[in-house]
Amino acid sequence: MFQSIELKQGINLHIRKTDQFKTVNFSFKFKQALSEQAAAERSVLANVLLHSNEQYPSNPAFRSYLDELYGTAMYMDSSKRGNEHYVTLLAESVNDQYLSTGGVLDRVMNLLQVVLFKPNVENGVFKESIIKREKDSVIQRIESLYDDKTRYAQQRLVELLRPNHPASIGANGTIEFVQAITPTSLWEAYQKMLNEDELDIYVVGDIDEEQMTNTIKQAFPLESRTPLQKQQMEQQNSDSSDRSHVKETQDMKQGKLHIGFETPITFTHPDFPIMQITNGIFGGYPHAKLFMNVREKESMAYYVSSSFSSSYGLIFVLAGIDASKEEKAIRLIDEQLEALKKGEITQMEIDQTVAMLKNQLKEALDSARGQIEIFDQYKELGEPFKVENWFSKWSSVTKDDVQKMAKTIDKKMVYFLSGKEESSNEGAPL
Amino acid sequence: MKELHFKQIDEKMYHEKMDNGLDVYILPKKGFSKTFVTFTTKYGAIDNTFVPRGQTEPTNVPDGIAHFLEHKMFEKEEGDVFQKFSGFGAAANAFTSFTRTAYLFSATDHLYENTETLLNFVQEPYFTADTVEKEKGIIGQEITMYDDLPDWRLYFGTIDNMYHKHAAKIDIAGTIESIDKITAEHLYTCYETFYHPSNMLMFVVGSVQPEEMMAYIRENQSKKEFAEPSEIKRIFPDEPVEVAIKENTLYMDVQKPKVYVGLKAKETSLQGEEMLKHELAVQLTLELAFGRASDFYFNAYEKGWVDESYSFDFTLEKGFGFAIIGSDTSVPDDLTNAIKKELAKIEEKWPYGLSDLDRVRKKKIGFFLRALNSVEYIANQFTRYAFNDMDLFDAVPVLEKMTVADLQQAFETLQGESQQTVFSILPKKDKVKE
Repeated sequence: MFQSIELKQGINLHIRKTDQFKTVNFSFKFKQALSEQAAAERSVLANVLLHSNEQYPSNPAFRSYLDELYGTAMYMDSSKRGNEHYVTLLAESVNDQYLSTGGVLDRVMNLLQVVLFKPNVENGVFKESIIKREKDSVIQRIESLYDDKTRYAQQRLVELLRPNHPASIGANGTIEFVQAITPTSLWEAYQKMLNEDELDIYVVGDIDEEQMTNTIKQAFPLESRTPLQKQQMEQQNSDSSDRSHVKETQDMKQGKLHIGFETPITFTHPDFPIMQITNGIFGGYPHAKLFMNVREKESMAYYVSSSFSSSYGLIFVLAGIDASKEEKAIRLIDEQLEALKKGEITQMEIDQTVAMLKNQLKEALDSARGQIEIFDQYKELGEPFKVENWFSKWSSVTKDDVQKMAKTIDKKMVYFLSGKEESSNEGAPL
Repeated sequence: MKELHFKQIDEKMYHEKMDNGLDVYILPKKGFSKTFVTFTTKYGAIDNTFVPRGQTEPTNVPDGIAHFLEHKMFEKEEGDVFQKFSGFGAAANAFTSFTRTAYLFSATDHLYENTETLLNFVQEPYFTADTVEKEKGIIGQEITMYDDLPDWRLYFGTIDNMYHKHAAKIDIAGTIESIDKITAEHLYTCYETFYHPSNMLMFVVGSVQPEEMMAYIRENQSKKEFAEPSEIKRIFPDEPVEVAIKENTLYMDVQKPKVYVGLKAKETSLQGEEMLKHELAVQLTLELAFGRASDFYFNAYEKGWVDESYSFDFTLEKGFGFAIIGSDTSVPDDLTNAIKKELAKIEEKWPYGLSDLDRVRKKKIGFFLRALNSVEYIANQFTRYAFNDMDLFDAVPVLEKMTVADLQQAFETLQGESQQTVFSILPKKDKVKE
C-alpha cells in the first residue's frame, strides 16, 4: 500500500502514489509517551504553531494565504493511542492538475516547513499573548466535555474504571497542566517534539514518489532519534467480585447507561480478530444482539451498542434509556452477554459480522485519511498490512472461538448519568 | 442512458429517467472499492400539509411523521431489513431532513443484492398498528436524546425564533406527544403521496459498472406496478419576512453559554441556476464577513468572545432559508452585539472588492474539488441540488462567473434588523442566581 523508507533513525516516510483522489494529503505524526502534562503541553503547542508563524505573523494573514491556495486545509491535531500521545500536522490541497493556477503543491510544502520550523517567536520563545489565548482555547475544549452528556458519561466511566491510567488520560491533558504552561515550558515541549519524538510522515496522492522523497528530505532536515520503546501497559485486571455501580445526576432528560467490561485481549494479542467478531455480535452492528433485543424487541432505546477499545482491553456498552428503566436495561444487556457465553451464537450472526468487518476495513481505505490511519495503526503489529490477511483471520472464526472469547469478558463497572430527582445530590463537578 | 462528461474535473456521470419517472444517476469513481447508493424522496419534515394522492382536500398530519415513516420502512413482515444488509456486508442507514428522506447503503461487495434490497424495501411498505406502537418507544428515546443536546437545541431554537407558521420551525422528529398520534393509516397516506418513483432519485457512486447497473435498476423497476405519476400538492402557510421572536433563551445544564444570531432569508422562491448563484453568493459573503480570515473573527477570537465551536452557515430551500452565526461564549451579549455591528457595517457601506472575492472564490472552488473525493458528499449533495433543479457540477463554473455585484445583491436579501433573531442557551446555575 505505502512505500516506506527510513529517512533517519526514528523518522519514516510513507508514500502512496494514487490517482484515486483529486487532492494530495500530508500527515506528520509526532509520537511520544503519554502523560497528562505532555498531552496538555502538546495540545497548546499544536494550537500555537497553527496560529501564526514567522512568514504569516497574524492569524488572518495565515488563513488568507490558505484560502489563496484553493482552500488548502491545514490543521494540527492532538490525540492519543494506547500509551502514546500524537501531535499530527495535516494538510490537504487540490492537485495542481485541476487548478487554473499551478504551483499550489510546492507552496503547500513550503508552508508545512514554515509551520514546523519557523514559528512566531519573541525573545527566543513563543509569543506570550498567543500562548495565553491558545491555553484558554484548550481549557475550553476540555471544559466543553461536560456539555456533551454522552462523552461526559463515557469519560466518567473510564476515569472510575481506570484511574491514573493511559485509558483515562485525555488527549488534551488536564486544565491544571494547561494552566501551568509557561513560554519556556512550551518551547521545551516544542524542541522535544522536533528532536526526540518518533516521526512518521505520510503522503498520499498523484505525485512523483522520487521527487517527493527528495523534497521531503531537504525540506525537513531532522536529526535521528531513538524510536519509542513499546511499553507494556499495566493490565489492572482486578478481582471479578469487585464490581461497582456509580450513579450521578445532572439536569437532563435521558438516562445515559455506560457499562465497562474487561478482557485480556488487546490489539497485539493473537485472538484480537476473534474479539472483533465477538464484539460485533454482541453490539457492534444493527444485526447485533444488543440492537435486536434491547432496541427492536423491547423498544427501550434508540441507541444501544458495544465497542471494543483494543488498546486497553476494555469493552463498553452505551445506551440512552428512560431513567426509570435502568434495572431492566442492565438485565437485558447482561442477558445478551450471557447468551454469548452460553454459546447461543448462530452461523448467520458470524457471517454477518465477518461481512461487516470486511466492508468496514475496505471502505475505510477509500479515503486518504483512512489509508494513513489504518496503515499507521497496523504497522504496530510488525507485519505488512494486507486486507486479505485480515479477511482470512475473520473467516476462520468459529462459534466455539466466539464463545471462548465471550467468556473472557468480565463486567466491571456500571455508570449511570441521569436527571435530578427531588433533592438528590449534585452532579459531579468536572 | 445519457452520458455527461465533466472534462475539467475528470468525471463522467450517467443519467436515465425510468418509465415510472424515477431519476437514476450513476457516477463511477476510479480506484474506489466501495459503492455508495442513496434512494431519496423529495419529502421531509416540512411537508406536513398536503393533498393526499387520489383526494381533493388537504390534510394535516402529526409533526415528525416523515421521520417516523423513515424508521418504519426498515421493518417488514419477515423481519428487520438491517439483517439483510448485514448479510451482504453493507452498512445501511437513512436520514430525514426538512425536505428529504434518504435511504442509503455503502458496500464493497454484493452490490446488486444490496441495490435490490434497497429498492425493494423502500418500495414495499408494511405498517401495522403493532409495529407503529412499538416504534414510539424507540423514537421517544431519540427525541429525548436530542432534548439533552445543547447544540441541537440551539440550532432548532434559532429556527423556531425565525418562523411564525412555516413547518421549518417544528422538530424533525416531532415531539413525544405528536408522534403518539401517528397511526399506520397516516403512514400509508404519506407513503402513497410522496414515495411515488416520479418523486424520487437514486444515486450510485463509487465502484460501479454504469451500463450494467442501469440495466439492473431498469429491470427491477419494470417488474413493479406503480400508479400514474401525479402532481403533489403541498400547502405552505404565508410566512412574513420578519422573524417571529427577536430573542429567546433556554436554560440547560451546560458549563458555558451558547449563542446564535439567525438571519431569516427574504428570497426563498428561486430554483435552478438562479438559486445556485444566489446561494453561492451568500456563502461567499458570509465567508468574507465571518470566515476564519475575517477581521471580525480575528477580533472576536483574540478578545476571547468565541472559541473552537464558532461556526456560520447558510441554509436555503424552496420556501425557507436562513443564515446562522454563533459560538459557545462566556460573553453572549458582547458576541451578539459584535455580529450585529458587523452586519450593520456591511449594510451601510459594502466593504468587499474583487481581490476579496477572488480569495474566497478560490477557497470555495478548492472546497468543491476536495469534496469530490467523498462519495457520500457527491450523492447527498447532488440529490439536494437536483430536487431544487440545480446541478452540483455547475457550482464551479457559476463560481468562476461570480461578480462582486452578485454578492452584494444576494446578501441584501438577508439584511434588515427585522430579519435578525438571537437565541441563547445559558447555564441553569445562572438562572438560580438571578
